[in-house]
Amino acid sequence: MKAILTDVTKCIGCEKCVAACAAENKLPAATSPQRWTLDDGLSADRFCSVLRRDGGYVRKQCRHCEEPACVSACPVGALKKTPEGPVAYDGSKCLGCRYCMMACPFGIPRYAWASPVPYVRKCTMCYANRIQEGRQPACTEACPEKATIFGERDALLEEAHKRLLADPSKYRQEIWGEADAGGTSVLYVSPIPLDFLTVGGHQQARALPQLTAPAMAAVPPVFVGMGAVMGSLYWLIGRRKKVAAEEGPQSNHGGSKEKKP
Amino acid sequence: MKRLLAAKAILWLIVGGALTVAAMRFIRGLGATTALTDLTPWGFWIGFDVMGGVALAAGGFVCAATVYIFHLERYHAIVRPAVLTAFLGYSAVVVGLLLDLGLPWNIWHMVVYWNPHSPLFEVGTCVELYLTVLALEFAPVLFEAARHPLLAKAYGILKKATIPLVVVGIMLSTLHQSSLGSLILIMPHRLHELWYTPILPILFFVSAVGLGLMMVTTESLVSSWLYEQEPEMDLLQGLAKVATYVLGAYTVIKVGDVLVRGQGAAIFAGTRESWLWIAEVLVSAVIPTVLLSMPAIRKSRPWLTATVFTGVAGFVMNRIDVGGFAQVGPTGTHYTPSWMEVWMSLGVVAAAALVYFFIAERFHLFHAGPIDRERHRYRLPTFDPATLVAHPDPYAGGFPRYTLMGVVGAGIAVALLPGSVFANLRGAPQPVTPAGYSDRIVIDGTRTSKAAVLFDHKKHIEREGGDASCARCHHLVFAGERATGCARCHRDMYQPTDTFDHRLHEARLGAGKGCATCHADDQLKDEAHATPCLDCHKRMVPANAAIQPQHPPLLGKAPGYVPVLHKVCIGCHEQRAKDARLNKPKLGECASCHGGKVQPFDPTRPDDRQVL
Repeated sequence: MKAILTDVTKCIGCEKCVAACAAENKLPAATSPQRWTLDDGLSADRFCSVLRRDGGYVRKQCRHCEEPACVSACPVGALKKTPEGPVAYDGSKCLGCRYCMMACPFGIPRYAWASPVPYVRKCTMCYANRIQEGRQPACTEACPEKATIFGERDALLEEAHKRLLADPSKYRQEIWGEADAGGTSVLYVSPIPLDFLTVGGHQQARALPQLTAPAMAAVPPVFVGMGAVMGSLYWLIGRRKKVAAEEGPQSNHGGSKEKKP
Repeated sequence: MKRLLAAKAILWLIVGGALTVAAMRFIRGLGATTALTDLTPWGFWIGFDVMGGVALAAGGFVCAATVYIFHLERYHAIVRPAVLTAFLGYSAVVVGLLLDLGLPWNIWHMVVYWNPHSPLFEVGTCVELYLTVLALEFAPVLFEAARHPLLAKAYGILKKATIPLVVVGIMLSTLHQSSLGSLILIMPHRLHELWYTPILPILFFVSAVGLGLMMVTTESLVSSWLYEQEPEMDLLQGLAKVATYVLGAYTVIKVGDVLVRGQGAAIFAGTRESWLWIAEVLVSAVIPTVLLSMPAIRKSRPWLTATVFTGVAGFVMNRIDVGGFAQVGPTGTHYTPSWMEVWMSLGVVAAAALVYFFIAERFHLFHAGPIDRERHRYRLPTFDPATLVAHPDPYAGGFPRYTLMGVVGAGIAVALLPGSVFANLRGAPQPVTPAGYSDRIVIDGTRTSKAAVLFDHKKHIEREGGDASCARCHHLVFAGERATGCARCHRDMYQPTDTFDHRLHEARLGAGKGCATCHADDQLKDEAHATPCLDCHKRMVPANAAIQPQHPPLLGKAPGYVPVLHKVCIGCHEQRAKDARLNKPKLGECASCHGGKVQPFDPTRPDDRQVL
C-alpha cells in the first residue's frame, strides 16, 4: 500500500507541488475564484493547495482513505480504492450525483460547476500516469525540501513515529491519518492541530462507511421479512373474514369467537 | 369549475417558467442556474424534490396495504387516487433527480454498475422497481374501459396480479423510505446532532407511514374541493384515527432517541438548530397527534383539513431540515437556493398535478368496482367521419388559455434570468480602477483597500532619469498622450483584453473604402492578414521603451492587470535587492510594498512567478 507523508515543519510553502500537480494533470490556467469555490485553494482545476495556518504551511490534497467514504457512497462504483492505495475516479461511470462530495469527511471532491457536462475532480495520487508505472506522484517528486514524501504506508508510518520520537518538542504527538477516519494513505506530522482539514473541524474516530454498514446489512432481512409479514397478514385476515362471513348470517358471535384464540 | 380553471391556469404558468429554467440548466449547467457550491453540493432539489417527494408519495403503499392486506374494502374508493399520486410523486422525484444529476444521460449506469454498499444505490434501485410496480398497479385503471382484446387481456392479468404487486410495493417502499435516512448516515460531519442518529432509517419509515395517511386525507379533501364534491368524511375519519397512533409512536421515538443519545440539553440550548428542532417536532408530530386524537376535530372538515395540512408541512420540513437546514451549522455553508431552483421544483410538482387532473377527468379514478365497458368509455375526443360530427374532449376547452399561461410563465422566467446565465462563466471580468495621476499613486489592485500599494511615482521618475524615463515603464502611448496609464489597456484584473477598437477605425477610415487600409482585397479579412498596428501607429511604442508589446508589430491582446504589474515591478525590485546599498526597504520582499498583507497564494489568481 503506497502512501504520502507530509511533514508540516519542513514545508516552506513554495507551492512547487501545486504547480507540478497542475502540469501533470494538464489542469487549465487558474482564473479568479468562482461563486462555488471554497477559499482553501482546491477546485475543479486544482487538486492540491498549500494553506497558511499559524505560521505553518499545510498541503491539502485527497487523503486516499483506507476505507473511503466516497467509494462506499458512489452508487455506480466510479470511485475505487486501488490495491496500490490511491482512490481513483472513473468519469465514464459517473452519474454526477455528487454523493461522494457529501460523504467525504475532508471535503475533497470538487465539481466542474461551470460546465454543462460536469465531472467530479480530485487528486488521484497520479494513479493512471505514474503509480501504475511504478513512479512517484508529481507533487512528491517536485518537493525541493522532501517535506512531502512517497513510499510504502508502513515504512512512512515508521518514519513518522521516528520523527515524533526524535524531536518531541517540534511535533504534536500524533500522526494525522494513522487511525482517524479509519486511517488514510496521506499522513501528516505537524506542530499545529490539523482539524481544519476536515469538514466541520472534527476528526472522525472511525471509518464513515461503517456507519452505513448496519443499515445496509439490514436491507435483505427487512425486505424478505416485510414480504413475509404482509403475505401472512393478507392470508390471515382474509381467512378470518371468510370464516366470519360463513358464520355471519347466523350470528355475530361466531366472528368474535374466532378472534379470541 | 372556476376553482379548477384557476388552479390549472396557475399550474400552467408555473410549468411554463420551469421549462425555461430547465432549458437553461441543461444548456449552461448547474453552476449558472443553482446556488450549489463545492461545500454544499446537494441543495433544494434533493432536500425538497427527492426527500420530500418520496415522503409525500407514501400514501400509495399505506393505502394499498389498508385495502388489500388488511382487507378494509370500504377504503377502496381512495386506493386509486393514492396509487396515482404515488406514481406521479415518484415520477416527479425522477424528473427532479434528472435535473440535479450532472450527467443525467448516464442514469442507466445505476442498473448496470452496482455498488451494494451505497445507500444511494439502494434508493435508486428501489425508485426504479417501485415506479414499475406503481405503473403496473395503476395500469388497470387505464385499461379497464379499453375494448382492444390485447388491452383487455393485459387488464385481466394485472388484476389477478394485484395482491403480489401490492406486497412487492410495500416491501420496496419500506426499503426505500428508510434508505433515504440511511443516505445521511455517512455524513455525521454534516448533520446537526439533534437530527443525526443511527436510527434515521427507522424514523424515516415511521414518519412515512404517518405522512402517507395524512397525504391520502389531504388529497381527498383537495380534490373534492376542486371538483366541488362532498368528501368521504367517514373514511377520512378512520384514516385520521390510525394516523394518531402512528404519529404518536413517531413522537415518542423521535424525542426518545434524542434523550437516549444524551442530546436532551441540545433541545433547549437556544441555538438556531434547537428552535428549528422544536418547531419541526411541534408541527410534524405533537400538534397533529393531539388534534387528530380529538373526535370533534376528525369530524369537522375545515379542522381536519387544517390539521393534515399542518402535519404534511411538518414532515416536508423534517425532510428539508435533514437534507438542508440542519446541515447549515455544522458545515458553515452560505447556501440559499436560487429562485431558479425553487421555481423548477414547483414546476415539477405543478406538472405532476396537471397529469393528475388529466387522468382524473378522463378515467375512472374515483371509482371502486369493475365497470361496464360498453357504457363507460374514456372521455376522449371522438370524431364520426360519416356525419363529420366531432365530439371534443369536454375538458379540452381551456387549451388555448392554458397554452397562453404557459407562454406567459416562460416569458416571466426569461425576464428574470440573471445576467450570469448568459455571461461567460469562466472567470467573471473584474474591471481595473485606473490609479489616476499624481506624484503618489495608490494602486488598489483588489479594490478591497486591504492590499493597496502606495506607488511613489515622483521618486521613480527621479530615479529612472527624469522625463526621458517614461518609456521604461510606459511601453505604449496613445495619440495625444505623453504616457498612457497601465489600466487603459490592461483593463481586467486577470483576463486579457482586446484593445483594438474596430468600430473606431471604421469610423475614422470610412467603412467600405477604408477597409483596404488594413485588409488587402484578395486576402482573408481576419486579424492575421491585416496590416500590423505599428505600421501606421509608428510612434505608439516609444523609441527607448524598455518593455515591448507582446507581439509586435501586431499588438495583440493586453494581458491582465495583475500579471503585467508584477512583471513590470518585480524584475527591477529584485535587481535592486541584490545591491545591499539600495535594498533598504527590503525591495525583494512582496510585503515591503503590499503593506505586510500579501494575500496567501491563491492558485485561482496566478501570477507569472507562481507557474513553473
